[in-house]
Amino acid sequence: MKINRFRGFVAAILAATAVVAPGASSASAATELTFWSWRTEDKAFYESQIKLFEAKNPDISVKFTPYLNTEYNAIVSTALTAGKGPDIIQMRPYGGMASLSDAGNFMPLTAADVPALKKLPAGILAGAQGYKDKKQFGLPYAVSALGVMYNPDILEKAGVRALPQTWAQLLAAFDKVKKAGFMPLGNAGGNGPALEQLHATVGPTFYGGTAFFNDVVAGKKTFTDKGYVASLKAVADLAQWMPANYQGIDYNTARGLFANEKAAFYIGGNYEIGYFRSLNPSITIGWFPAPKANAGAKRYVGTWADGAYAINAKTANKAAALKFLNFLGTKEFGQALVDEIAFIPTAPYVKINDPAVKEINRWRTTLGTPFLNVVGFRFENPTSSSILQPGFQKLIVGGTTPAQLAKDVQTAVSSWYGPQKGKS
Amino acid sequence: MSSRVFFQTILIINLLLVLLPVFFLFNSSLRESNEFARTPFALARDPYWENYQRVWSEGEFGSYFINSFIITIGSLILILILALGAGFVLGRYSFRGNNLIFGFILTGMLIPAKLAILPLFIQLKWMNLLDSRLGLIFVYSSAALPAAIFIMSGFFKSLPTDLDNAARIDGASEFQLLRKVLVPLVRPGMAIVAIYSAIPIWNDFFLPLVFLQSPEKKTLMQGLTVFFGQYASQWGVLFAGLCLAALPLIVLYLILSEQFIKGLTAGAVKG
Amino acid sequence: MASALRREQNRTTSALLIPALAVIVIFTTIPAVTTLSYAFFGWEGFQRNTFVGLENFKKLFTYPYIDQLLAALRHNTIAFVVIMTFQTSLGLLLAYAMFRVKRGLRLYRVVVFLPVIFSLVVVGYLWQALLDPYYGPVNQIIAGLGFPEFAKPWLGDTATALPSLMFINLWRWVGFPAIVFLAGLNAINTEYIEAARIDGASESQIFRKIIFPLLAPSLTIITVLTFIGAYEWFDLPFVLGGSNGSPAGATDTLALMFYRLSFGSIDSGANNVGVGSALGVLIFTLVGLGAALGSALLRRREVEQ
Repeated sequence: MKINRFRGFVAAILAATAVVAPGASSASAATELTFWSWRTEDKAFYESQIKLFEAKNPDISVKFTPYLNTEYNAIVSTALTAGKGPDIIQMRPYGGMASLSDAGNFMPLTAADVPALKKLPAGILAGAQGYKDKKQFGLPYAVSALGVMYNPDILEKAGVRALPQTWAQLLAAFDKVKKAGFMPLGNAGGNGPALEQLHATVGPTFYGGTAFFNDVVAGKKTFTDKGYVASLKAVADLAQWMPANYQGIDYNTARGLFANEKAAFYIGGNYEIGYFRSLNPSITIGWFPAPKANAGAKRYVGTWADGAYAINAKTANKAAALKFLNFLGTKEFGQALVDEIAFIPTAPYVKINDPAVKEINRWRTTLGTPFLNVVGFRFENPTSSSILQPGFQKLIVGGTTPAQLAKDVQTAVSSWYGPQKGKS
Repeated sequence: MSSRVFFQTILIINLLLVLLPVFFLFNSSLRESNEFARTPFALARDPYWENYQRVWSEGEFGSYFINSFIITIGSLILILILALGAGFVLGRYSFRGNNLIFGFILTGMLIPAKLAILPLFIQLKWMNLLDSRLGLIFVYSSAALPAAIFIMSGFFKSLPTDLDNAARIDGASEFQLLRKVLVPLVRPGMAIVAIYSAIPIWNDFFLPLVFLQSPEKKTLMQGLTVFFGQYASQWGVLFAGLCLAALPLIVLYLILSEQFIKGLTAGAVKG
Repeated sequence: MASALRREQNRTTSALLIPALAVIVIFTTIPAVTTLSYAFFGWEGFQRNTFVGLENFKKLFTYPYIDQLLAALRHNTIAFVVIMTFQTSLGLLLAYAMFRVKRGLRLYRVVVFLPVIFSLVVVGYLWQALLDPYYGPVNQIIAGLGFPEFAKPWLGDTATALPSLMFINLWRWVGFPAIVFLAGLNAINTEYIEAARIDGASESQIFRKIIFPLLAPSLTIITVLTFIGAYEWFDLPFVLGGSNGSPAGATDTLALMFYRLSFGSIDSGANNVGVGSALGVLIFTLVGLGAALGSALLRRREVEQ
């Protein structure tokens, strides 16, 4: 009796193990690669591209799984530590995944394995290297650019004839649009990262663009600089043009307002264009670089190598993963990035036919300035972004002042960033 | 009596506050997403069942359901087997250390799995049980055992001791005593343990979030969070997903409401 | 003969106890104790480094963590006070109402307890939709009733986010104290109540002097469970505000901070297991002490009744 009972117990456990044991997957000849990303918006795009890849490589299948943006980092780092990460990982730029890179989670890529790397300039490549370990861990796939997107139809109806070149002209345009009965700005306050991008678009002209970036990186200037504080104030000043109840309007609803042609302007990155079009295929989108602060200032287009594709250092399918990575580095894929989701690909010799993207790229190459927080200050805690993202949310409802926010950023960065240590 | 009317009113208000959101959820799940965005507040005159279809096929709810099922049932089996045995021994045998062990097991109830999540993570990795439904079964069972043993031992204790003696006189071994005589008598306790343990396991999303990495192993609640990330703004589909996720328990509850109530408040309600 | 039985009982004890104990020890006890030890080491990601003594605790109480810690602690405490007050009293009210009515009692019991069986994920997303500033029915109703200025972005405004969360929590949980109190009410010997009624006591007097004191055991349990739940609040804030306690940390809780520190978050990607474990020790101590103290105090009050 006792033995039977014990056997029964063991049998139950073994049965359970058999049911749930991993590795009981179908014995297929195909290699299956897993590919994770935070771009839920691009799911359809990647799946169609994967189909093209699989057609040319019938022995490889790729499964694409996007995760919620805000939880992506935690999910990836847990999975990688568990040894269960995906084969192909969409990698956050610069410091976003520096600790993971340094911990050896990503396979170092050589130009021999990934020829596409040879064609990329050093500044772009830097976006996918480690922090302490300067090896190349990812293949940057796109460059992003920040600017002001607008709906030409609404502007025409509101009588806005000329595109704003100065900050004052921008606010005047908002006013005209509002008086005509439309929503001036789709941007809202419900999402910290979106506010950070808003600042990175309109801010550089106030704080002095690339010159300031270099100075802060070198420790010659701090975040409490007058210009930087003014750039923060500019964001606060935009709050009155945001939709009613803007504090509670989340990222998707805000973008939806522009996509569904309720708002005339949306300030942010070119990666939003694909999403707008997916919501409303008939929309026409115009773009211009952020206006200058005043007559004497310069205009800037915030830009950075946004995201890369990396290979899991522990992948069991190295050859297949490299094949797929190289596919992602081809001119055709780059072309699809432009044509289908309006990205600016890093792959050279891509013909940009989309007029909006063409315009963006033209301005980007002449007026580009680094996206300060992403490029320079994401490597250690607390990052400038971790202060600014909730900070902006407070700022636009009057919960803090631009000067205080600037101080908070300075305190945060100076606590770990060498050249800024001890400065305030 | 005006106080009766007052209390009836309170209960009716509660009824409305509970049922109206649920009705809204169900109604909205049957409306096409864009139409919902235009007029959020309208009855679904033409039920749009495609939402559900999409949730099931694209949203991979089928696999989520199966995984939740495997993990919940698997945990239940383990919990019941272990709690029956331990509850019997602790409830009916007196031996040195009985109280000590019982007390030790009870302190397990104070420890929320969440706080020990990091060592659990590293430990499961070392045991090769990460990204494994079996690993989750062990963790859930461990968390549920203290309360389960507490409940079962209470039931075993309440059975008259003559049963033991009678069975032993008839030549039964201890195991036979347990299996053939006592277990049938503690079935109500087993039902309570089953419900008390299963509901939090079925509803949990945190442990799967941390311990299950492969998309095909995701459980229902965990999958729901992924689903919401992927289908943001597609209201009809989102609502359909919520309904599907909530449906099994609602149906079970409506059939077995008595047992559910007893089960879930066990330990809080004396007797 | 007695010793043969004794021997068999010993074997049975081992066979039946050891598996259960093993599972508990391996998957609950050892991890819990290990968490304690983690707080005293430095970490590189998930790799343990050297022994650092109380360094992690010190870090927890300095910039930048101390601000988050204090804010989260404040939120948890507010949650406990508000939930304890409103959820428990509403639960008691519902229980008493069910105790007094006869018609529809079965229906009411089923409905009152219904939200308790929903998963927090379902509840969270459901209410996120209901409270949506544009598409949600709550604001539409408020505006329709003639108060458009009250149609706020409940979950997005830093001032209303935490209260909204507490309201949702209440919606989901009030059935629990209601049922526990109902059981307590049903267990009261009706003779006491009858006697008092005959003596001419009013309903409120009966409630205050007889019923409420006799509900002390139920109140103890509810209080302790509410305390533990309030200070370990995670699921609802996580579903509705993410791991950062959006908006702007207004819904941050101790448990959320613990998760952030343990697994990283969007803007930094990096985690700090050492400080996270220190926070874990803090939470565990707080909850353990609070629950034990509260239990002891309330139990004494029970006995006095």
